Amino acid sequence: MGRLVAQPLLWFVVISLCIFILDDLMPEARDEIIVSDAQKDRIALLWKTQTGADASIQELDSLVDNWIQEEVLFREALRLGLDQDDSIVRRRLVQKLGFIAEAQMGSEPEISELESYYSQNIVNYTLPLRYSFRQLYFTDQVSAQAQLGQAKLGEDISSTGTTSMLNDAYAFRSELDIDATFGSGFSSQLIGLSVLEWQGPIKSSFGYHLVYVTNIHAEEAAPLNSVLDSVGSDYQQFQKMNARQRYVDALLDDYLIRYEGQ
Amino acid sequence: MTRILSLIFIASITVSCSDNATETQLEQSAELPPTGTNAAIEIPAARTAGYNKERNAYFGDLHVHTMYSFDAFIFGTTSSPSDAYTFAKGGKITHPAGFDMQLDVPLDFYGVTDHAFYLGVLREMANPLSEISKHEVAAGMSTLGGSVQRGEKFNEILAFLRSPRASEVNDPVIGRSAWEDIIAAANRHNDPGNFTAFIGYEYTATYSDGGNLHRNVIYRDDVAPELPFSRLDSANPEDLWDWMDANREQGFESLAIPHNSNGSNGSMFMMTDFSGNPLDDAYADQRMRNEPLVEITQVKGTSDTHPALSPNDEWADFEIMPFQVASFRSSQPNGSYLREAYLNGLKNQEEKGANPYKFGIIGSSDTHNATYAGDEDDYWSKVGLRDSDGVRRGSVPLREPRAPGENYAETYFNTWSASGLAGVWAEENTRASIYDSFRRKETFGTSGTRMRVRFFAGYELPSIDDGDLISKAYDNGVAMGSDLLAYAGRKPEFIAWVSRDPNSAALQRLQIIKGWMEDGEAMEEVYDVACSDGGIVDSITHRCPDNGAQVNLDDCSITSGLGAAELRANWSDPDYDAAQNAFYYVRAMENPTCRWSTWDAIRAGVEPRPDMAATLQERAWSSPIWITPVQ
Repeated sequence: MGRLVAQPLLWFVVISLCIFILDDLMPEARDEIIVSDAQKDRIALLWKTQTGADASIQELDSLVDNWIQEEVLFREALRLGLDQDDSIVRRRLVQKLGFIAEAQMGSEPEISELESYYSQNIVNYTLPLRYSFRQLYFTDQVSAQAQLGQAKLGEDISSTGTTSMLNDAYAFRSELDIDATFGSGFSSQLIGLSVLEWQGPIKSSFGYHLVYVTNIHAEEAAPLNSVLDSVGSDYQQFQKMNARQRYVDALLDDYLIRYEGQ
Repeated sequence: MTRILSLIFIASITVSCSDNATETQLEQSAELPPTGTNAAIEIPAARTAGYNKERNAYFGDLHVHTMYSFDAFIFGTTSSPSDAYTFAKGGKITHPAGFDMQLDVPLDFYGVTDHAFYLGVLREMANPLSEISKHEVAAGMSTLGGSVQRGEKFNEILAFLRSPRASEVNDPVIGRSAWEDIIAAANRHNDPGNFTAFIGYEYTATYSDGGNLHRNVIYRDDVAPELPFSRLDSANPEDLWDWMDANREQGFESLAIPHNSNGSNGSMFMMTDFSGNPLDDAYADQRMRNEPLVEITQVKGTSDTHPALSPNDEWADFEIMPFQVASFRSSQPNGSYLREAYLNGLKNQEEKGANPYKFGIIGSSDTHNATYAGDEDDYWSKVGLRDSDGVRRGSVPLREPRAPGENYAETYFNTWSASGLAGVWAEENTRASIYDSFRRKETFGTSGTRMRVRFFAGYELPSIDDGDLISKAYDNGVAMGSDLLAYAGRKPEFIAWVSRDPNSAALQRLQIIKGWMEDGEAMEEVYDVACSDGGIVDSITHRCPDNGAQVNLDDCSITSGLGAAELRANWSDPDYDAAQNAFYYVRAMENPTCRWSTWDAIRAGVEPRPDMAATLQERAWSSPIWITPVQ
C-alpha cells in the first residue's frame, strides 16, 4: 500500500479518472458574461459620440451582441496567450500601470514643499535681463532729434511722435522680445542707457525712437508667488516621476535580476 | 475537459499570488478616461500679464506633422510632438539630414496635427519587436536607408493603404497610444500668458477623383475624444462635422480648417454637397459652425486666387502649386481657390438663400519635419530627407544631368513655397482667448513674415490719425471676420492698417480686395488704398506708382531706404452700392525679397534656376468683412 501511495503516476491516473467521470455526470460548467447596465450605457454613449445620434433599441441590441462577441474573443485570446510577446500589448499594459502608479503621489503639496522645490530648481525660474520703457516713434531722425531737444529744455514731449501699431510703453521685455518687436539690433542699443530721461534717437526697422527707460530689471529669480502655478505643475510632474520610480523600486525588491553568463 | 484541467491549473497558480484588493483598485483607476476629465464647470481664469482689451497680434502654426504621421516618419522624422512644441518655443531640433533647425523669433501658439489615419503605425512597423513589423508590407521598415529608398517604400505602403487590405495594418491601439502622447504633449507645453499649445490632428480625406479634402481639427481645451475621426471612418467631411457636432455636445469643442484647396481639383469649394445636392441652409450652418477658417497658404502653395480666375489681379500669380496633392495631375482652378469660393458663397446666398463660404483666413506651414517652413532664407521644405537640400528640391542643378537638357530634379517640391503663418487678434495668449479669435474669424494669414494687419468697417469710424483709433473702431464698427448690414443711403467706411515685420522687408502697398454680386454676376476688383514712399493711388486704375524697390540677385540685398514701416488708410468704396451683397478683405504687400530657391542657389554658388521666380513679395491677407443689404 505504501508503495502504491508513493506512485505519482498512479495518483494522476486515479484523479484524472475521477474528473472524467465527474465531468460526464455534471452539466457543463460555463463561464459567465454579465452585461451590466453600466456596460450598456457605455456602449450607448460611445455610439452617440461616434455617430451623433442616440442608438435605437434594435441598434443597441446589435451593439450589445457585438460587444458580447468581442468579449468572448477577448477572453479566448487571453486564454490562448495572444497577449504574450506582443510589444504593443506589453507597452499598453506598462503605460496603464504607470499612470496608476503616478496617480498615487499623495495629497496636495504643502507650500513648504513648493518652496524647497523652487529653491532647488531656481535656475528654471530665473528671468533674463529685462527693460521697462516708454517710446516715441518718428519716421525721420530730424524730428526725433528736435523733440529730444525740447525734452532737454524741460518740455513734456509725451504726446509727440507718429501713431503706430507699436505700444507707447512696454514693461518687463527681454532682449529677445524687444528685437522681435523693433527688429534685431534694437535691444543692444538700450545697453548703457540711463533711466528716467528721454534718450535717443535709436534706430529700428520702423524709423527712429526716443526712449524713456523707467526700469532695468537685472537677471533675477522670479518671486515664488509670481510663478506658483508653474512651480506647482513642475512639482507635480516631479512627484509623478518619483511615485512611478518608488512603485518600480518596490516591485523590483521582489525580483532577483540575473544576467546571463555572469 | 482539457479546458477544465487548464483552468484548475491556472486557478491554482493565480490564487496563490493575486491580491484581490489591489486588482479591484487597479481596475477602477483604469476605468477613468485617460484623456482627462470633461470639466462641466469652468472657473474664469485670471488675466495674464499681456492682457490687452484692444487685442494683441499673436503668430502661430496650426499645421505640423511629427513622427506619428505615416509620411513624416518614413521620410526620416523622428521628432515627437513634445519636440515640436519645444521648437516652437524657441528650442533647437535636428533635421533628419543632420542640420539644426531653430526659429529666430519663437511662435506664440502652435498645434501639432498628425494624420489621424495610420496614426503612429509606420513608426511601429519600424519597431522590430512589434507584431505589426511582421506584416509583409512592413518589410524593410526597420532598416530604411536614403531618400530614394524611402520614397520607394513610401509609394509601396501608400499603394497598400489604398488597397482593400489596408485595414490589416490599421491598429487603433497604436493610434490611441500616439493620440494620448499628442494630448499630453500639448497640455504639458501649454503655458498661459506665454505660449499656447493646441491639441489637434489632420483629417486626410480624398474625393473620389483624387481631389484633396484635407482638414486640420483643432481643440479648444485640454481634452479630446478617445480617438480622432479619420478618413477610415468616412471620406465625407459632412460625417466629420456630424462627429464634431456630437462631440461638442459632450464638451469637446473643436473646429476644422481645410487646407490645400488649391490641390483639391475643385472639390474643396463645390457648389453641391458630397452627394450632389444643392447647398442649403442646413449645409451652410453646419459647415460654418465647424469650419469658420480656411488655410490660405502653406508649403504646398497659396490658395488666394489663380491667374485664370482673377485675370485683372496683377498679383494673382503668387506661389501657385498647379498639381493635385502629392501627384503630377493638374488641379482645376474652379472650386479650388478662396476668392472664388467667397464669390460663389454670395451667389449661392442670392440663389438659394444660404452662404456656406463665409470663412476667415489663416496661414500655416504643413511641415513634416516637426518644425516650421516659412522662412525664405532658412528654408527646410517639409518632407525630411526627400527635399532637404537645393538639389533634391530642384533649385540647384543635379551633379550629373539625368538626360540632355534635364539639369534639375523634376519633383513637385519645385512648386513648393516657404510659407504659412497664422495671425490672430486676441486679448491674451491663452487657449480660450486665441480660440475665441478663431471663432470670431479675427484672423489673418501671411506667407511667412510677421506683418500685423488690422481691418475695420462701420458707419462712424474715427480718423486714421486718431490717438484712440483702435478702441473707437471696436466701439463703432466691426473687425475682420464680421458682418455689416447695408442700409440704403448710407455708405460704410473702412480702416485698413498694416505694420511691417521688423525683421523682414519694408511694406510696398496696402490693398482692399472687393467681391460682389451685380445682376446675378460675381465681380471682383483690387484697390490699392495706401502706397509707400509718398506714392498716391491713381483714381482710375486704383494703383500705386511702382516704388522701384529691387533685389540684388548676387547676394539677396534689397534697395535701402524704400518702403514703409506702416501703411494705413481711411477708405470708402468708390463703386459702392448698398443693394449689393459684397465682401472686402485686405492684402498687404512687402517690397520684393529673394525666394527660397534663390537663397539655395546663392549658397550653392550657382545661378538661380531660370524657370523659377527669383524673388517674391511676402504678403498678408485679412479675413473678409461681409456687407449684406437689409432685406
